[in-house]
Amino acid sequence: MNFVPRYLGRGSWLARRDPRLLVVGLVCFVFAAIQVWDIRLMLVLVAIAFAWYRSARIPFGEVRRLWVFAIAFVSLLVVMNGVIASGRVQQVPGDLVHLYGYLPVVGTPVSAESIVFAATQFLRFIAMIAMGFPLAFAIDPGAFGVTFARLGVPYRFAFAVDLTWRFIPSFAADFRTTIDAQRVRGLDLSPTGRNPIANLARQVPVVVPTVVNAITGAEDTIDAMDLRAFGTGKRTWLHELRFDRTDRIVLVAFAALLIGATIAAWTTSSALLWVPPFMIPG
Amino acid sequence: MTAVTMNRSSLWSIDSRVIVYSAIGAALYGILVSAQLPVPGTTAVSIRPAFALVPFFGYAFGPIVGFFTGLVGNMIGDQISGWGALTSYNWSLANGVVGLLAGLGPLYIGRWVAGSSFANRATAAAVAGAIAVVIGFLLAFYDMIKDQLDFNAVLTTEYLPVVIVDVITTAVLVPALLYVWLPTAERTGR
Repeated sequence: MNFVPRYLGRGSWLARRDPRLLVVGLVCFVFAAIQVWDIRLMLVLVAIAFAWYRSARIPFGEVRRLWVFAIAFVSLLVVMNGVIASGRVQQVPGDLVHLYGYLPVVGTPVSAESIVFAATQFLRFIAMIAMGFPLAFAIDPGAFGVTFARLGVPYRFAFAVDLTWRFIPSFAADFRTTIDAQRVRGLDLSPTGRNPIANLARQVPVVVPTVVNAITGAEDTIDAMDLRAFGTGKRTWLHELRFDRTDRIVLVAFAALLIGATIAAWTTSSALLWVPPFMIPG
Repeated sequence: MTAVTMNRSSLWSIDSRVIVYSAIGAALYGILVSAQLPVPGTTAVSIRPAFALVPFFGYAFGPIVGFFTGLVGNMIGDQISGWGALTSYNWSLANGVVGLLAGLGPLYIGRWVAGSSFANRATAAAVAGAIAVVIGFLLAFYDMIKDQLDFNAVLTTEYLPVVIVDVITTAVLVPALLYVWLPTAERTGR
């Protein structure tokens, strides 16, 4: 897995936006999506999410593995929930579901409501994931600190976020070096046997040196910050962020999406499950 | 100065040391969290050795460092894996709470910590981390509201498996990390 933050969306329409828009847009979208259970509206949200994702022009070949993982994990979560919930759908009383039959072996009831519920859950996760991708791949890694600082996060925390992204490539390299060094010494890191504690203990020779090396190397960074009088006054940033007209329009649209979803959840049936009539037997 | 020797007021100060250790913890957690060991006989449960970094950084460097390590590290790990930083934001918050509570450990189990042997301090860290895991991951039940998951589904496929494997991870790796880190910290005067 490539740990280095990659700016795959460089030059795209989304990458040219103010990075604050990507963060605020995602937050608005996630909080709007979690209020929607009508699958028709969820499909609209999925369309918005993939339009957003497409505007980042992230090459699919570079993120194929990530998509495979995400879809597999979401599928597993949705199926497991469906099986363990025994066909219960929280918004629908048990005697109001339209039963199709029972799963073999586990005996879980399968109804029109439980299928639509699972499909809506799946779509919601996929929409949120599609919206989240550009946050990692369409923001200049050097702009993370100023992005959060200009969003009102205290500058010390914003600086810590910035520093985190800058540390990742070097720590990833150290991690690989440590693994190689231990393998040269004959250490086999692959899990053997069925004892999870023994398998966990086998990771100690890799995890401990990587962590302790990183911590002991921190003093240089701390000294550099102290020598520059970090924390003694208001901080300025190298990047200057400005919302342009397009950013403002998109920002208003996301705010409207969140407000609209919230109002609709209270006043309409958007927060309730909608089952297509063709799925209701009889 | 490590949190193990801090007093109550200095736990909440944010200086360059706290910022740098927070960033280191989050970066390491974000990178290492992708290394997972599947637990035989289960479907979605795996041991994440990197999780030990959350209680370790909290216990060793204070609650702010622990919170940042858990929160931001988990978000980065989720983002790197393709899951998305905010898709399961309550889980990131849960990781942050674990780090925060582990960071408060030295205040409440100071009897074991002050002037005692490495073994006692390592045990105290493991206990503080385990308690933090049990409490912090209660935020997983927010999935019942956010994703309309069933209580039994959250309990059996999320909360219990995660708590069990993370308590084991904490019990095994946090003492190992402290056992190496404490002498280094004392030798270098940190």
